[in-house]
Amino acid sequence: MIRLLMSLVLLAASAVAAAVSVEICEDGVPKSGWPGTPARATETFQEDAFGLFELPLKYVATGVRGDRAFPTLVRATGKVTLPAGKHRLLLRARGMARLLVDGRVIAETPFDQPRQFAVGNAGELPVEEQETFLELGPGARFLPPGNREVMAEAEFDGRAAEIVLETLIGGIEPKSKRPFRPELGETVAAISLAGSGDWKLLAPGEMTVPYTDAGWAAYTAPRRARFAAMNAAARATRRAEHAGYWNRRRAAARDWLAATPEVPVPALAAGFPAHNPIDHFVAARIAQVTADEKPSARAGGVDFFRDIKPILEANCFACHQGAKVKGGLQLDTRAAALRGGRGDGPAIVPGQPKASPLFQRITSHDPEEVMPAKGDRLRTADVALVERWIAEGAVWPEFAPGRRTLTPLAHDLAFLRRVSLDTVGVVPSEAEVSAFLADSAASRRARAIDRLLADPRWADHQMGYWLDVLAENPNLINPTLNNTGPFRWWLHESLLDGKPLDLLVTELIRLEGSERGGGPAGFGVASQNDVPAAAKGIILAGAFLGVEMKCARCHDAPTHAAKQSELFQLAAMLEKKPLKVPTTSSVPLDHLRVGGRTPMIEVTLAPGSTVEPAWPFGRFAGEASAAALAERPDDPRDRLAALVTAPQNERFAQVLANRLWQRLMGRGLVETVGDWEKSAPTHPELLRWLGREFVRGGYDLRALARLILNSHAYQRAADPALAAPSPLFAAHAPRRINAEQLVDSLFAATGKPFAVEQVCLDLDSVRTIENALDLGQATRAWMLGSTSNERDRPSLMLPRIQAVADVMEVFGWRGARPDASSGIRENAANVLQPALLSNGTMMTWLTRLSDDHGLGLLAMEEQPVERLVERIFLRLFTRPPTPEEKSTYVAALKPGYAGRVVARAEPVPAPAERRKYVAWSNHMKSEANTLRLEQEAAARRGDPPTTRLAPEWRTRFEDVIWALLNAPEWTSVL
Amino acid sequence: MNRRNFLTQSAALATVAASPRALATATAAALPKGRAEHCIFLWLGGGMAQIDTFDPKRRGNPKSKPMVAGSDYAAIDTAVPGVRYTEHLARTAQLAEHVTAVRTINHTLGIEHALATNFVHTGRPVSGSTVYPSLGSVVAHQRGAADERVPAYMVIGYPSVSRGPGFLGAKHGYIHLVDTESGPAGFTAPDGIDAARMAERRRLLAPLQKNTGDGTSLDDYAEAQREALRLAGPGFMRHFKLAEEPAALREGYGGEFGQRCLLARRLVQAGVRFIEVSHNLNFINGAGWDTHNAGQLNQHVLIRELDAALGSLIADLKAKKLLDKTLIALGTEFGRPGQFDSGGGRGHQSACFSLLLAGGGLRHRGAYGVTNELSGKPVENPVSVPDFHATIYAALGINPGKELVSASRPVPITDGGKPIAALFG
Repeated sequence: MIRLLMSLVLLAASAVAAAVSVEICEDGVPKSGWPGTPARATETFQEDAFGLFELPLKYVATGVRGDRAFPTLVRATGKVTLPAGKHRLLLRARGMARLLVDGRVIAETPFDQPRQFAVGNAGELPVEEQETFLELGPGARFLPPGNREVMAEAEFDGRAAEIVLETLIGGIEPKSKRPFRPELGETVAAISLAGSGDWKLLAPGEMTVPYTDAGWAAYTAPRRARFAAMNAAARATRRAEHAGYWNRRRAAARDWLAATPEVPVPALAAGFPAHNPIDHFVAARIAQVTADEKPSARAGGVDFFRDIKPILEANCFACHQGAKVKGGLQLDTRAAALRGGRGDGPAIVPGQPKASPLFQRITSHDPEEVMPAKGDRLRTADVALVERWIAEGAVWPEFAPGRRTLTPLAHDLAFLRRVSLDTVGVVPSEAEVSAFLADSAASRRARAIDRLLADPRWADHQMGYWLDVLAENPNLINPTLNNTGPFRWWLHESLLDGKPLDLLVTELIRLEGSERGGGPAGFGVASQNDVPAAAKGIILAGAFLGVEMKCARCHDAPTHAAKQSELFQLAAMLEKKPLKVPTTSSVPLDHLRVGGRTPMIEVTLAPGSTVEPAWPFGRFAGEASAAALAERPDDPRDRLAALVTAPQNERFAQVLANRLWQRLMGRGLVETVGDWEKSAPTHPELLRWLGREFVRGGYDLRALARLILNSHAYQRAADPALAAPSPLFAAHAPRRINAEQLVDSLFAATGKPFAVEQVCLDLDSVRTIENALDLGQATRAWMLGSTSNERDRPSLMLPRIQAVADVMEVFGWRGARPDASSGIRENAANVLQPALLSNGTMMTWLTRLSDDHGLGLLAMEEQPVERLVERIFLRLFTRPPTPEEKSTYVAALKPGYAGRVVARAEPVPAPAERRKYVAWSNHMKSEANTLRLEQEAAARRGDPPTTRLAPEWRTRFEDVIWALLNAPEWTSVL
Repeated sequence: MNRRNFLTQSAALATVAASPRALATATAAALPKGRAEHCIFLWLGGGMAQIDTFDPKRRGNPKSKPMVAGSDYAAIDTAVPGVRYTEHLARTAQLAEHVTAVRTINHTLGIEHALATNFVHTGRPVSGSTVYPSLGSVVAHQRGAADERVPAYMVIGYPSVSRGPGFLGAKHGYIHLVDTESGPAGFTAPDGIDAARMAERRRLLAPLQKNTGDGTSLDDYAEAQREALRLAGPGFMRHFKLAEEPAALREGYGGEFGQRCLLARRLVQAGVRFIEVSHNLNFINGAGWDTHNAGQLNQHVLIRELDAALGSLIADLKAKKLLDKTLIALGTEFGRPGQFDSGGGRGHQSACFSLLLAGGGLRHRGAYGVTNELSGKPVENPVSVPDFHATIYAALGINPGKELVSASRPVPITDGGKPIAALFG
């Protein structure tokens, strides 16, 4: 014991003067209790005070989040000089902790609390226990949930004392032997000097941190930013360690570009404007389509895209579209229909409906012959249309070109709003508008694009899209619904770092790092799924190769080329070993032999068979050339990563370029972005060119975005009459705003703080890491998660998050993402959208002028009422009001405007009360339910209105805000 | 071989090879078809103990040492000779000729709440490639609202994926309310916004609703907005005014769960097709229906609340001549074993449990299916969850084998579910 204390003193003496040295020790820490000899520090950083709440994160491999050891010991050491006397010391921590003064343990909190874990895990901890806590005096900060505290007295002699604060995080739950989340909670040593009622953090230097709510907030805020910077630096260091390999990859990409022919940029067609080569391609296509066009068969004739294509889509395409079709008959192009299938020969004889098998089939009364084979007969009106269409010659253009005269450039402010929503996901602020307008007219657009692409909010805006496409699906408790780990954090950091997409996708496929702490390993998980690797194969194929493999999960796809064996080959590469096909991942053969027709689907891979790892997409990239690029060619998973991301695999670069194009232009060059079998590119040369530019730019998504955003095609005005963007990109169509853009913009534009609960149901950490996640404090809409309350218990509701999620769900966001999305969300208008915007709880917050509401503060500024209306329009709509709008809202706000601001004394804050909390640990208790229902009622009520505005005028202003926020204009990107 | 010959031959082969299950699907046209117009789906989250409710067995005792497995309550006779429920279901027992407790429900989805809840709502295990629609969404999709002025599908309870529309799309989702006081989310004006203020708000909105163009996405939204504002008006909202009901009737229905059932009846009258009513008020006994440990102590209070609500609902629908066209279904994610846990409550059991059907024009029989001595497994007439769903669909005139389309993939409404034939005809 003496030796131990001696060494602790020595450790303390080695600390830098006037600083707290924080050591992280991952080696040799026992599973329970303190190490016998001091654990060796594996990482060290400096702190100003004995207040710990976050550690620098650990990064592994190329810079992905990893796990620290379970448990990890954290030791903070520093010299503190205190006046002589007997002072009170406070120790708080989430993990087991102890506080030593000059080598003597003076306070210790326990870790092993079997009752807490057992009872809390069952949700049965009495809420009343929260009434028992240390009385520290008025103003002191209350103990946050899940932390433990102890107070002690210690005698100081006026000389510098050695202080050591130690804690174990990520401890092992004694019964299950599984770790808790590695959280510091609020690990603090605070002091109250003799004769004083105040508490402050122990600190070695000049710094004084009052241990109050305000003091703690002021202490933590700059440190969070500092940790973010330290984490970014740590990621950069890890990535630099792999620079050798990735520089070789860059060189290989350059070599490949040099060895393969460039796509010539066409000369600019006469009469078309151009900002960059994109416009040359777009103009050339319009010119070509116009030149090729035959005069319309007959005025008033059947229009293929208006009249016939919807019939084919609804009745035929399920079986007769794409690479693999029933009876060999493809009905998605004119050439294919004329070529025909195995049984009937050419499906159409132009001009002769009665001789066309297609027409014979839809009119047949023989159940063996009639088409569609399943479902209802074609409606008589549709049959008549098909007959007329064939009779008129079966005119079938390649695609419906739609509008082909270009709209002019969008107005500057319309452009700014659109480009802001498309890059940082929120509408521009007044300051951003001013900065934009301050630049010269010639340069302001390009400069705004550069600013926005350099903005860290770019990463936020990308998140919602990729979480959908990659089907991130963390569950706050008990992951059982095809859940993944929260790999959102790795993804967000990768986007913040502007990581090249080939590296990002390589990291994803390598599945390294932390599974529950936010690393790509979390992508590999699919709880309760019989073959998680197959589920991931489907996602990867759709996301990065445009290959739809959902059907191949259980059988060969009836209308896609993918075979089940190919999906399992892919899955086996991910698993790094041969994979057995379980019965549950197949279709029983007796299901296939129902009725007289050929079965729709085939099963060529018998359940129980074993599939070896193999690359099933030789059609995109030959295995030999690309696998040579792998860092570890013997590792099937790493080989897969190289095969997907290699420059030789042109599909990869083109699929990503097409995804970005679709998001910015409203329609993909290949319309079905996740399934390239179902539509052909409208602009094949442009697609290839963009793919090569993406490779040339080092797979930098932002560089590619810069190219598209600067094009005239992107900057053109929207044609409000278009229901969908023109396939020739002559004009934008209004696009439905997505859920994240809408919610983030509403909060940003009104200036109301986005205040929701911590995204966590295990606030006090009684559950082990597998069974409870903490997704932290959301600051942007994408950070929310599913609040799915399958248990239907009021106590498990998060009412403020739910109020926001309700709005997001009706605008197409999915909190739970059990399956992969193509990336294109359903965007039809539905009645719930305006309902929640007019009467929902979130809108109550946004339309109530509380003390912290940005528009309330704006209204208090000294300015004419006309100016107020103009500025509100600028903030909400990025445009000035029309004369009619201006007069309407000025008229509404004018009465009482002069006397709107009420002088008031700053209210004296009421003494804080310890607020009880509801968490998993107590959710089965009646009191917890009652408490949660009170929170729900409070959320619904919203914050109280400010008393600084006269109530009569304020309510009128609120009504104006309500009307402005409910304008249909909000729901579109123009 | 020409195509016709091939088809004829494979049809012959199919007849030989087909399993009874496949045949059932093949003869879907002959399936029973009921005439119910509405469905009220009562959801007892947590896992209702069948042995303490609709499938009573020999008496046990959680308080003796050692504990004795069995029902915690006495059994009583019902209106159907030979069918018994436990003593706390006295009211429902008297109406048993309108009720069938399906005692042999079973699934192998395990005993985790969320997973099993999902299964009993959608009839399919969670998949990584398709999100399946709930019962309510399928019914909404197939039948729409009975009156176009109201939504097709409403939930009185919390939102969840399991209740959602899955691949059918948001249009076939639900409108929910979390309690009978606050009205449906999005259609009830917030506190403090009276009719005059709402009118002023709409006046101020009007200039911004103009110029949205015809047939554009902005116009679609403006149209939806007009619809939402109409639903938020007095016509739709009056259905939520329970105070219009006679006091005695309201009292008969009992507490909040009963009031929800009463509201569900009003919504049926208004034309809502499917209403899910959640019984999630777990403060009554702490645990709600998830009666582990001490949750057992006051379980009888919960059962009595169910009895009051269910009995009142059946009687009320009957009195209003709505019972034959309104199917009441009772769902829970799993049941509970006859044995007690160490704390005197019960664990989870999915191998055998009871769900309930009432009204809806079915030929009721008090109970269906036979279980073994402690209701641990089905002995006669086992009924799968897809079968139970198929029964609900068939009662509502929906073919349970009909194929829906998920991203061009045909998905039958139920996974081979077969209606309980004995309840039809």
